[in-house]
Amino acid sequence: MLVQLFVANLLTFGNGTVMAAILQQSFVQQAQVLSNDQLLYAFALARVTPGQANLYVASIAYMMFGLPGSVLSILVIALPSYLMIPLLHSYEFFRGNRLVLNMARGLAATAVGLLLATTWNLARDSMTAPVTWIVLALGLALLVFTRLPTVVSLLAATGAGMILVLATGLVTP
Amino acid sequence: MPDRDPSVSLAALFRLFLKIGLSFGAGTGMSAVLQEELVHKRQAMPRREFVALFGLARLVPSGSMTALAVGIGYRYQRWLGTVAALTAMILPGFVLTVLLTVVYTLLANSTALRVINLTLMPAALAIVVVSAFNLGREFFTPSLELGLVIAGGVSVLLFGLNPSLVLLAGGAIGAIALGNRDDTRQASR
Repeated sequence: MLVQLFVANLLTFGNGTVMAAILQQSFVQQAQVLSNDQLLYAFALARVTPGQANLYVASIAYMMFGLPGSVLSILVIALPSYLMIPLLHSYEFFRGNRLVLNMARGLAATAVGLLLATTWNLARDSMTAPVTWIVLALGLALLVFTRLPTVVSLLAATGAGMILVLATGLVTP
Repeated sequence: MPDRDPSVSLAALFRLFLKIGLSFGAGTGMSAVLQEELVHKRQAMPRREFVALFGLARLVPSGSMTALAVGIGYRYQRWLGTVAALTAMILPGFVLTVLLTVVYTLLANSTALRVINLTLMPAALAIVVVSAFNLGREFFTPSLELGLVIAGGVSVLLFGLNPSLVLLAGGAIGAIALGNRDDTRQASR
């Protein structure tokens, strides 16, 4: 798991959302050690807590291996940051290197494809009731058409969904 | 790279990055607070240098904020500074994330968890959808990049290929095939 995480972090340049795509494919689709709901919960946590967007890996690791796993997962994603030190000495070379920039662009385009595939997989498993479609539509509308912070949109759509669920008696104790 | 500048002590570095770690808005929000603190309030670094460090951090294959923390920590207090900056920045989010995950695991099989699954999950999915389209916006025109988007999605969705290898292949194809284009920009994160 740590190796997968290390590779995913390296290849996605630490982008939390794109990394979620790789983790979904690796841990949910292939290894089946995590559910889509767990992944989405962890991902949502990153939006309602302070700090970097990729800290949700601690949540995923906790679900699989407890506290030691979550600590190790943070070390694994933080470790490549130390490449910053040698890079400080060769900034001009890397900044203007066409090969490096093109590789980054190729990685980014491929990552978008992975992310779209992941979106499809997540939607297939999570959209199980009419209320989930309403919450998704509301969330999309808030994110696309308003200038509200992401965390506010997330909480507003979730809150509206909870009211609907409770009002319709969809979930009973 | 400039020599070590001890003007920001180890303790001050820790306090500064603890504050950054408590900032919302992920990288964008955190870097804005860091710039405000370091460049404007403390005047410990010229804006031009901060921007250069930030640009460099975006080239590092990790989160740009963790790379920036290492770069700034190293500038002021060398290796100990990197540890202080990283630890302080990660700590608040990490503790909250783990605590909320503990709550999630305690709620297993409860009514509350079923409500969360029906409400929080689709709302989180909306973020993933919007992120995917925002990240891909610049690639959604007929181009080699669009080909990579489609190939990336199809290869994992239909053929179940290893996503890390697919990404690696996409990066290699980009490096070889995208060529010497004037409009090549650094990949968005």
